[in-house]
Amino acid sequence: MKVLLSWLRELVDVKESAQQVAQKMSLRGFAVEGIEAIEDLSAEASATADAVLDFEVTANRPDCMSMVGMAREVAVAYGLPGPRLDHVRGAGPTASEAPRAGDPPAIQIIIDDPQLCPRYVGAVADVQVGPSPSWMQARLQAAGIRPISNIVDVTNYVLLELGHPMHAFDLARLAKAQIRVRPARAGETIKTLDGQTRTLSPDMLVIADGERPVAVAGVMGGAESEVSGTTRTIVLESAYFNPLSVRRTSKKLGLKTEASMRFERGADPAAAATAMARAIALIEEIGAGKARGAVIDEYPGKTAHRIMGLRREKIRGLLGGDVPEPDVTRILGGLGFELKPTSSGWDVTVPTRRVDVTREVDLIEEVARHYGYDRLPVTFPELDVPPQAPDPRIMRARHLRTILAAAGFSEALTFGFISEPAAAAFADAADLVPIANPLSENFAVLRPSVLPGLVDAIAHNRRREQRDIRLFEIGARFSRADGERRAIACAWTGAAAAEHWGGTARPVDFFDMKAVVDRVCDAIGVGIHTRPSDDAWLAPGRRAAVMLDGTRVGAVGQLAPALADSHGLVGSDPVYVAELDLDALEAAAAGRSLRVEPLPRYPSVTRDISILVDDTLAAADIRATITEAAPVFLVRVAEFDRYQGKGVPDGKVSLSLRLTFRSSDRTLTDAEVQGAMDAIMTALKNRHAAIQR
Amino acid sequence: MPDTSPQSAIETLRADFRARLSAASTDRDLKILDDEFLSRKSGSVTALLKQITAVPADQRREFGALVNTLKTDIETALTEARAALTASRPPAGAVDVTLPGREITIGRIHPLMRVRQQVEDIFMRMGYEILEGPEVEDDYHNFEALNMPPDHPARDMQDTLYLAAPIVGGTWGAHRRAIPDAQVRAATLLRTHTSAMQIRYMKTTPPPVRILVPGRVYRRDNLDLSHTPMFQQCEGLVVGEGITLADLKGTFEAMLQQLFGDVKVRLRPSFFPYTEPSAEVDISCQSCGGTGCGTCKHTGWLEILGSGMVHPAVFEAVGYDPEKVTGFAFGIGMERVAMLKYGVDDIRLFYENDLRFLEQFPL
Ligand SMILES: [Zn+2]
Repeated sequence: MKVLLSWLRELVDVKESAQQVAQKMSLRGFAVEGIEAIEDLSAEASATADAVLDFEVTANRPDCMSMVGMAREVAVAYGLPGPRLDHVRGAGPTASEAPRAGDPPAIQIIIDDPQLCPRYVGAVADVQVGPSPSWMQARLQAAGIRPISNIVDVTNYVLLELGHPMHAFDLARLAKAQIRVRPARAGETIKTLDGQTRTLSPDMLVIADGERPVAVAGVMGGAESEVSGTTRTIVLESAYFNPLSVRRTSKKLGLKTEASMRFERGADPAAAATAMARAIALIEEIGAGKARGAVIDEYPGKTAHRIMGLRREKIRGLLGGDVPEPDVTRILGGLGFELKPTSSGWDVTVPTRRVDVTREVDLIEEVARHYGYDRLPVTFPELDVPPQAPDPRIMRARHLRTILAAAGFSEALTFGFISEPAAAAFADAADLVPIANPLSENFAVLRPSVLPGLVDAIAHNRRREQRDIRLFEIGARFSRADGERRAIACAWTGAAAAEHWGGTARPVDFFDMKAVVDRVCDAIGVGIHTRPSDDAWLAPGRRAAVMLDGTRVGAVGQLAPALADSHGLVGSDPVYVAELDLDALEAAAAGRSLRVEPLPRYPSVTRDISILVDDTLAAADIRATITEAAPVFLVRVAEFDRYQGKGVPDGKVSLSLRLTFRSSDRTLTDAEVQGAMDAIMTALKNRHAAIQR
Repeated sequence: MPDTSPQSAIETLRADFRARLSAASTDRDLKILDDEFLSRKSGSVTALLKQITAVPADQRREFGALVNTLKTDIETALTEARAALTASRPPAGAVDVTLPGREITIGRIHPLMRVRQQVEDIFMRMGYEILEGPEVEDDYHNFEALNMPPDHPARDMQDTLYLAAPIVGGTWGAHRRAIPDAQVRAATLLRTHTSAMQIRYMKTTPPPVRILVPGRVYRRDNLDLSHTPMFQQCEGLVVGEGITLADLKGTFEAMLQQLFGDVKVRLRPSFFPYTEPSAEVDISCQSCGGTGCGTCKHTGWLEILGSGMVHPAVFEAVGYDPEKVTGFAFGIGMERVAMLKYGVDDIRLFYENDLRFLEQFPL
């Protein structure tokens, strides 16, 4: 709401500068977006410069989208009388003060739906259309409204001054001299003032003449009944429309106007009549015309004044401090509330313009707002129950962040929505969750995986001279089948370790990434294993499913090169990625408690074994065979060398394993260990045709 | 004519050796000295001894003894110098300690998470329960129960992203015995604030309440210098008998001073549908100390969070009696905090994940 300082001073005798007023009002709930210094527009043209204050009026205060509304707030803030309506420019005897009894109405007004249009005030005036006086034009311009003609300017001036939207029709263009407020008929169209033809539907309220719509009620007038230079007689409209109806219509038409903004937040039904009186007075005052006949006031949906109790006890209970009674009555009285003392406080009558005040707390806010939040005491809430432990998932995520950072990964944050093609690489199209009203194609679907965003972040860094990049993210991912689940994802490209003068750089490989997966799962407290997978987004031969007790909980591998290309990583080093279902891992870890095992009391024996096997045989299968064949005192199996090349036949691989034996109740004899080794070797021979080297 | 007596020749040679020795710093230097002075063929001491024939017979014995003493002294000095040199040399396997160490690659925690953890810690110290909720929500919990019925104008304040079809949302509260694995059954939108969790919490937990809900929230805002379609919020709720606006003031003074240091805190009236009265909370501008500068738009104050006393309609929606309990709620944006704390002037930096940016925040 743009407020011209000189106009404000007409309404309330505030002496302070624009900056001081802005400062004061920002602490009363009206933030100031900006102050524009302009030349003085006041009637007395004093030496002091004028200014326009751009107040931010919150959605609950349509009554302050006007000069009078803001002046009322300023008056209470400064403890001044006002707003002084008798001081305003063009104040004179109003039409309503001199009813023209006996004159036949020049127009017929019919309200078909009193729910949607509880009040319609209409009047007819004979006019000479021309420019409005310069003082009026200047004030409109200061508020950002373009002057059009004396008649249109008067309606806009009243809108600014009193906040009530008005409209003027050319009577000659209204069929049957009739105003009918009715729902639109299906398929009806109207060309609105902005020149657009709009198709209406029965859930929209229109102002029609005897035949067709001439305005979209509360939103915009029609072009065909517009006041023009040839207009001789006008019909003035000052109505009150149902806020919800105006809001729905405005939204549906995609048409937001000064009028619709006020009606949808809630106009003042009482203002319909005062605005009409004011408009007629202004038209007569500036010599633009003269009212003909009586003002017609159709008011089928009369609103009753709200009366509500305000308790002293409740003021103190909510604010934490006492507000002196004279302050309560001064503030509420100044804002137009009527107070009647009761034993516990007051009965308060709410002015109809205050659509936001429906409860006792709303009154308390009015008191607190103008009393000053800064004058209330400062206390600290007492703790009356023992504090609760935080959600463990938050603490676990913190732990994982620390572990991954210590492993060289930096934390990324990427958006929860990505482009459809980026998502489609990671999930079935049918499983994607599209956004109904996306901002752009880049944000079209909820991410089915954290990885696409992470790979984009890798690409962003690659384009900025970074070669060795490790990133991770913890966040939600979404699918139609499984809904929202939390995941932890890592991506790694470049060297396996930082460059150093004493060593040769090695690029990251599958086993570096797998070790990260192991570390994360270990930190959560679950054991996992991997097995080959066929995910298309990973490179064949370098991809694995992460398994937990037979259930897939994630994937690890090299990002498919074609997919890396599509993220702008053309010709770059391989990117290794992993993603784990954090919800699944945490669920599996739930309830597991940490118990210490006794330390070994007897020595261990280690034996190495080297075998030749088919190179397609999985290490996990060999391990399984060994574990199965060995007695319980085999405590550890570790692969320590895997060799192919000279001396090893094609299609074979030489694998060396170190086996550790230890019993918890005795020192093992050589014979016992040898017996175990024999059994293991026999099993390897039988099952895998292994040859001992 | 200089003193050419044999004795003076010995002293000259000794002085010469001392000077040369003090300049010697390597094994090679010592070897050269050894050769020059002591070589049996060409050493200058050997040469001196040969001059014995020129010495009067009665002085020959003395001269011979003096030259031998010189020879022994030189030998000793050279041996000592060699030993000293050996002692100063690094032992086998010694390293050049001035070379750079083998770098331990370490990552960084995202600045927004860093700030979030600080905020969480402050509220934990104040006895708040910290919990997370689902990112997709239904209309009831995100809007309706928060006093924003359908078609409420305040919904325009939070332009919402809707899902094309409902999905199952995430779980929450599994750690609470009373609410195991609570879940959003049919989520239709991306939550515009974490306040939705306040409703879920109050519906399952009787007062008093003291919670902080951090998490990602979404709005239909285009990416620019100060807006992102996704951002990080921490929203808090305190409900009990006798909770007042004064308690809200005290809480924020304590919290903001822990977060920003020695700042002044002020409240400005504002409007949120789910609080009444509502307040924006400002801190004094640290760039200018409150006198006014570009950062604070010459007001001396910086807006940091939105808050207010819980609206009775919200209590009614969750089954609390607004005549018995009162409370306050607040929401603070992590981006805003991080921008002010670290002097970041473009919000997009938080979501580009540029290592050159991230690495400025030590682990
Ligand atoms: Zn400043």
